[in-house]
Amino acid sequence: MKIVVNGENKEVAGPATLEELIRQLGVGKETVVAEVNRRIIQLDQRSGFQLSDGDQIELIQFVGGG
Amino acid sequence: MTATLNQLMMQDTYQINGKTFTSRLLVGTGKYASNELMGECLEASGTEIVTVALRRVNLDKKGEKNLLDFIDPKKYTLLPNTAGCYSTEEAIRVAHLARATGISDFVKLEVLYDEKTLLPDPIATLEATTILVKEGFTVMTYTSDDPVMAQKLEQAGAHAVMPAGSPIGSGQGVLNPNNIRIILEKLKCPVLIDAGVGSASDVAVAMELGVMAVLLNTAIAHAKDPLKMAYAMKNGCEAGRLSYLAGRIPKKLYAQASTPQKDF
Repeated sequence: MKIVVNGENKEVAGPATLEELIRQLGVGKETVVAEVNRRIIQLDQRSGFQLSDGDQIELIQFVGGG
Repeated sequence: MTATLNQLMMQDTYQINGKTFTSRLLVGTGKYASNELMGECLEASGTEIVTVALRRVNLDKKGEKNLLDFIDPKKYTLLPNTAGCYSTEEAIRVAHLARATGISDFVKLEVLYDEKTLLPDPIATLEATTILVKEGFTVMTYTSDDPVMAQKLEQAGAHAVMPAGSPIGSGQGVLNPNNIRIILEKLKCPVLIDAGVGSASDVAVAMELGVMAVLLNTAIAHAKDPLKMAYAMKNGCEAGRLSYLAGRIPKKLYAQASTPQKDF
């Protein structure tokens, strides 16, 4: 299935959950926030969240700022 | 025995939305040459509240250390900002993302209008403040030094109002102290100077005006020696605060001798 992660097109073998995708990408820190199609998916809901073709995923974390 | 400097500073606490703090210096985490240096500067500054931003994870740098590997959220209160947001909707989205980390419900709200001046959009800032306060955030709002806008933000429920001393990152200090004086006279909520500070004396000047605290970033991060500047900012902040509490002498036109002028 084709999805978009942080603006990059990705092809992933489906079916996959959001948690599986994050683990596969190697960015699985607890403080990384995930949005699917502009909706925040809380940490405890990622393992049950099934991704669909065309999903737009944003993975966000804290960086330096003033 | 008279109080030592340390005792005076420790007793002089303040609150933001019910949370108590002692250090009156809030420090940003951007623009440092390295995360290690940033960590040392935060420590040296004595800060208790640090601002952070939210951005996309870099997918090409798997396993790279993240900012929070250098900042202990148990030691510091994290103040996520909405920097780079140019609409109410964007700012609210970023605030929601910040809260979803489970680390902080504080937000440094900034909704910008103009890229060159980084001045805030007052209408969007007011809208976003109203919404985020209703949603239970602790909202600390960046604004210009307009006293009317500051009052509107307080009425909207902002937990702190943070006028810029001068444009963000400009290092010009507090350009209009009279506006800050008027804001302090009108508002009951905490007022902080956010942005524009260039040196330790700028912090002292701001604190002498009577603001609750000062928020800065570039002045430390881009100093020639950031660690020395972090110490200087801590001392400047404490000096300004004590000077404000001590109460300065009035300015006079003519000299007043310090030494008796007769009987010699």
